[in-house]
Amino acid sequence: MSHETFELIDRLRRTGRRAAMATLVRAHGTTPRKEGTKMFVGDDGGIFGSVTIGGCVDARVIERTAEVLGSAKPQLLQMQLGDDEAWEIGLTCGGSVEVFIEPLNDATLAMYETAHREWEAGRSTAIATVVAGDAIGSRSLVDPEERSTADVYVEVLRPPARLCVFGAGAVAIPLTTFARALGFQTIVIDGRARFASRERFPDANELRVGIASEIAGQLDLGANTPVVLVAHDYKIDVPVLKKALDSTTPYIGLLGSRKRGAAILQLLREDGVVEEELSRIRVPVGLDIGGETSAEIALSIVAEVVAVMRGRSGGAMMRRS
Amino acid sequence: MNPYGDVIQEHSRNPRNYGSLDAPDIRHEDENPFCGDRMRIELSLDADRRVSAARFQGDLCAIAKAAASVLTEMIHGMALERVREMDEQELLDALRAEIQPARRNCALLPLEVLRGGITKPVA
Repeated sequence: MSHETFELIDRLRRTGRRAAMATLVRAHGTTPRKEGTKMFVGDDGGIFGSVTIGGCVDARVIERTAEVLGSAKPQLLQMQLGDDEAWEIGLTCGGSVEVFIEPLNDATLAMYETAHREWEAGRSTAIATVVAGDAIGSRSLVDPEERSTADVYVEVLRPPARLCVFGAGAVAIPLTTFARALGFQTIVIDGRARFASRERFPDANELRVGIASEIAGQLDLGANTPVVLVAHDYKIDVPVLKKALDSTTPYIGLLGSRKRGAAILQLLREDGVVEEELSRIRVPVGLDIGGETSAEIALSIVAEVVAVMRGRSGGAMMRRS
Repeated sequence: MNPYGDVIQEHSRNPRNYGSLDAPDIRHEDENPFCGDRMRIELSLDADRRVSAARFQGDLCAIAKAAASVLTEMIHGMALERVREMDEQELLDALRAEIQPARRNCALLPLEVLRGGITKPVA
């Protein structure tokens, strides 16, 4: 589930528009359209939001939506795809997909609203939906660890990653804007109230003014919390890096040149930080896109964060084998 | 190269009284809005209103950190009234270095924060 999906569900609930939600619940084959991909179709056949399942599947979902909304009963659309059709939705070869189409009723919207609150609070939850049989369409919020023998599609809703940005300078501003668009929650930390202001950071989820290293020690810098240091100031960088290295954060990026980075690493080394730990620090930060402006540097940073979180190198797609 | 003298070098590398107190009588935090130095100072007072313990914490440049370290040593055992009367030159003299005008704010931040705390007791 993405931030956009939750926002779309919220909007549909507020406006009261009649719509169906189609969810890709099974796909056989390697595909960038992961199970869980959703699309929302109105009773006039219009698509809400930017996400669709793709290719010929969209057309058949739209066609079936009228029936689902008319009967107010969900359906499981099973499709065998030829090679051409499979290619259209990103499958490497012909296979099959199953799309669960359901009318968005009050109970469903309320459940997703509950899940959204949990998600925003940083807690994982899951929604189990019966996609076949007599109980088709019934659903409940469940513990993700629970198991069932029924034909149930379990949609695990993990909380968004939280990007911690230390330093409220020029690069931090576009960084929070890009990160928000990518679905990150963002928190900006700085010792200067006039820098870490709402006026300068309209897209940040949270602003914290205080002793940055102390705040770093209070935050849960876990596996879902990348850390970026853009203060460009050793008195912030060194103590905050020590806190970050004490955590399990998957990403520690430090703004600065190679030379500056070497000097900061040396200060940490003198404080007893071992080489293995120092190697976790990415300096210079970001992907090599030739970034010069604050926005370009921010783009390179957030791209690297996404690549690391997804376990990718961040190279050019055309060179990927 | 050591541009700021032995006292600043020694105290910035080995700051005294860095940390916090469990139940301070005075606690105050403030910043140098230009360079981003930010620190908190905490004092415990005895029955005679003398400083029985002083601690500081913050993300500080070498000069500010050394000045905070030196200042907290200077005021230990000092009557609060006397602390209130401390002037800037006393602290600058104790640092025994030529501080460039552009860095005076760094050196004097600890004293500013201390003064702020004395006029605003801990909540």
